[in-house]
Amino acid sequence: MTDWLSTEGRRITRRDALKHLVAAGLATAVGGCGGTDEDGTITLRWWSTQGAPAQRAAYRVQIDLFEAAHPGVKVVFEAMSDEGYATQLAAAFASGDVPHLITHMPSFAVQGYYAHGLIEPFDDVIEAIGADEFYPRANDVYRAADGRYVGTSIGNTAADMLWIRRDLMERAEIEAIPETWDELRAACRAMQGGGIYGAPLPYGLNSANSLTFIGFIHRAGGSVFTPDLEIALDQQATYDALEFYRSMLELCPPGATGYSWGEMVTSFVSGATATGLYAGRVLANVAAQNPQIADSITCALYPRMSRDIPAWTYNDFPCVCIPSAASNKAEAKLFAGSLFDPAGYIPQLHAAPGHVLPVLETVAENPAYRDNEIIDRYPQEIDLMASAAAQGYNLGFETTAHQPNTKAGEIIASNAIAEMVQRVVLNDEDPQVAVGNTVTRLEEIMRS
Amino acid sequence: MNASRARMIWSVVTWTIVLAVVFPLIWMIVTSVKPQSELFSIPPTLMPETITFEHYWRLLTDTPFLQYFRNSMILAVTTTVVVVVLGTLGAYSLVRFKYRGRETLATLVLFTYLMPSVVLVVPLYLMMAKLGLANTLASLVIAYTTFALPYALWLLRSFMSSIPVDLESAALVDGADRMGAFVDVILPQALPGIVSTALFTFILCWNEYLFALVLVNSDSVRPLTAGTMNMLITSFNIDWSLLMAASVMMSLPLIVIFTFLQGTLTKGFGAGAVKG
Amino acid sequence: MHSDPPPSLEKRYARIGVVLIAPTVLVFCAVILYPLISAIYLSLFSIYTPTLAGEWVGVDNYTALLASGDFWNAARNTLIWTVGTLMLQLVFGVAMALLLNQSIVFRSLARSLVLFPYFLSTVVAVLVWRWLFNDLYGILNHVLLIAGLIDAPVNWLGQMPNAMISIILVGAWKYFPFVVIVVLARLQSIPEQLYEAATIDGAGPFQRFTDITLPQLRDVLVVVVLLRAIWDFKEFDLIYLMTGGGPVRATQTLSLLVYEEAFRLNRMGMASTYAVAMMLVLLGFTLVYLRQTNRIEEG
Repeated sequence: MTDWLSTEGRRITRRDALKHLVAAGLATAVGGCGGTDEDGTITLRWWSTQGAPAQRAAYRVQIDLFEAAHPGVKVVFEAMSDEGYATQLAAAFASGDVPHLITHMPSFAVQGYYAHGLIEPFDDVIEAIGADEFYPRANDVYRAADGRYVGTSIGNTAADMLWIRRDLMERAEIEAIPETWDELRAACRAMQGGGIYGAPLPYGLNSANSLTFIGFIHRAGGSVFTPDLEIALDQQATYDALEFYRSMLELCPPGATGYSWGEMVTSFVSGATATGLYAGRVLANVAAQNPQIADSITCALYPRMSRDIPAWTYNDFPCVCIPSAASNKAEAKLFAGSLFDPAGYIPQLHAAPGHVLPVLETVAENPAYRDNEIIDRYPQEIDLMASAAAQGYNLGFETTAHQPNTKAGEIIASNAIAEMVQRVVLNDEDPQVAVGNTVTRLEEIMRS
Repeated sequence: MNASRARMIWSVVTWTIVLAVVFPLIWMIVTSVKPQSELFSIPPTLMPETITFEHYWRLLTDTPFLQYFRNSMILAVTTTVVVVVLGTLGAYSLVRFKYRGRETLATLVLFTYLMPSVVLVVPLYLMMAKLGLANTLASLVIAYTTFALPYALWLLRSFMSSIPVDLESAALVDGADRMGAFVDVILPQALPGIVSTALFTFILCWNEYLFALVLVNSDSVRPLTAGTMNMLITSFNIDWSLLMAASVMMSLPLIVIFTFLQGTLTKGFGAGAVKG
Repeated sequence: MHSDPPPSLEKRYARIGVVLIAPTVLVFCAVILYPLISAIYLSLFSIYTPTLAGEWVGVDNYTALLASGDFWNAARNTLIWTVGTLMLQLVFGVAMALLLNQSIVFRSLARSLVLFPYFLSTVVAVLVWRWLFNDLYGILNHVLLIAGLIDAPVNWLGQMPNAMISIILVGAWKYFPFVVIVVLARLQSIPEQLYEAATIDGAGPFQRFTDITLPQLRDVLVVVVLLRAIWDFKEFDLIYLMTGGGPVRATQTLSLLVYEEAFRLNRMGMASTYAVAMMLVLLGFTLVYLRQTNRIEEG
């Protein structure tokens, strides 16, 4: 009789060994875990939410330049999900397995993480780049409550410019670009028809809605918080903005109730709407997807409720920051600084021309920067966006008088403001009640 | 006369429904061969005016798509092998061996499906980080194995229990040992069930998103789902052309595999399902 | 005849049995049991997700959950979604399986193609459907407009009740092939003689279905319903990517609420509380369901 026990034992061991081998093989198939290798090569991990092919090519240029200047250091680019970066970063921070550099997150997200000690102060990098090179006040949005800088912007984006079709304006006999809400409504109404809608405003339950609507509160003369970060939402300006937003719904395509940034840009670029609300990417998209209207588009500051209210532009201030738990911080800071060298910075800006605008004044005036088809073709629009963005704000930093709001990221992510808009505009609920509930939710978030 | 008329009626009804079900695939393919300028035409064109393969070309040459594809392949194949091995052995154990707690184990295993995956993500990632497996395909293999095993065990168990014990006894009497009987008798009979398990696991690994997003962060190990989403969708812009091309290329391997396995598969579910 | 092995051999066999199942048990303990216990543990704290640091709050999270309108809203939505899509999956699944069991042209190809939705990655499926549902460029609105069935584009995802109906339909489309596979395979193993005998006895097609087919399918349907009910209840990717829970939380299910708490509000403690609530509901359902079906089997 066969000694089945020994055969048995051998069989199991072989099976287990195979499994171990496979697991070991996979464990070694690690990609870019970062840190220092045995031969002393340092690998830096660079995370960003903007990893489209055109931009990756530009990053490649910057990485190559840096690696050439710093032998012994390698940089690996890893794309983050724009929708899910909160989840990815939560896991990374919680486990300590953090990248060396994070870019393109909104400024308020960085402020939020900094308040929990997860981000490294950035003052020395800004010094290395040259604090005067920046547009004046460009870094104010990154100043934390303790006076240090939590990061800087890799570019500026004027995210809520008014885009408009000159040919449609002519056809509707509109002479001047609208500057007030009444003028905008009238213009949209006149231009709507024949399958074309007036505007593509976002009414979806998403950040586009929240962020856009915050802009409208400001353009009605109000703000979400007071400079001391008390909740100011229950004010006349909010109701005016809600009323305006509601009145625009009929001038938007039916799907606007779910619109986010992607739909906003596509509707204008494809010619489905007469006006748009977006950043500079419109220019590149029109050139690629709908060249027929390329000569008829232009942009302006988005209309306010009345002419005496100052203009307000939303700039999400895509960031550059370094996690505090990262290894090799010195090299990471060197790399962060190198991102602003014109040799690499300009190609990166050209990968999203007009959309990511330079934060350094010197670069904006650099002829190499202007030597780009889109930038060359639309000089007024580019200059307007650049200056608007440089003086732009967001919920984390609503005016120059405001303190930085470290809870802004969570407020946006909670969709509290978008929900308020939806309840009033889509569900026709009582504005007082909706605003009151939102104030309670904001208080809860600010407290937690 | 009646039979062939019935056949025609059934064919028409069935194929109408099948085409309706498959329409999104057709639309995916149609969209992926349209040039970008035609993409947003209003009204949308049913048949593309110009056919271009530039999006496929760009996807293959300009992006890490092939790398993601390779990662997904390795991930899916490895997990399938692990699940099949653990599943067949485990099912065999539950069916043929007697030991304490056997019945409770069988039901408890199903209870793992009661856990919402969203809550699993962070603790799992922390555990992987502690094991030194963060950001590796191995962590995904382990995660997906747990998702697939309960169903695999149920399927294989119901399959094996319908195999008559006499076959094994005969082999044992002939001088084979327990495991020899397993390999020579059980495995061939259970093959359709094994194929079903393999396909189910493969699909699960190939298509999973949330864990692929969080557990893995480097392009060199990132699987297809997270890779294409990260690359082509930002909250600011969705690259529909590349996305449709990627979707078509992501779906083809599964359809090809399934067409080959289809016969064995339906047999597998059938016999295994007898015990219910 | 198979005779019982002598006691010592029996024990040895038992040991092998345990060894064979051991890796599985190990994997489960590590990967499921540990997070489960940590979820219950974390639900008693208030935790900031990126640092996992927090403070003890005891049952405060649970009282907040019961008082929260969002929880009950999500529970109701989850119920509507689960029941709606499950019924459609079952009805279409069984119907399709019956059809694919008939003699039709190119039957193998039809069987392969009909499983396509199940193969497709959820993220891809959702994007394709959003593209189809689009108000401006979507082919669905276009076709309906041309056919004269509507005179303005329909807002499929941004309006109620369209949004809930849309996700139920897409969920049914995505998962009904699972039912098709299982039922079709079972159908193929029903002996032809049963049907022949019934026809001879004078039974019509509908009676043959209710008297022969359904009872034979009962076993598989019981399991399919349980599995699909659990999986549909937990569904996250499809609803999150399709509507994000909107408009105004009208399609926000419990899974989405857990995600919102954990990663948007960075409140891991509260999220764990919602998760524990979800698990209790599923546990309750599973126990009641299993007891009911076992009782019917015995009776």
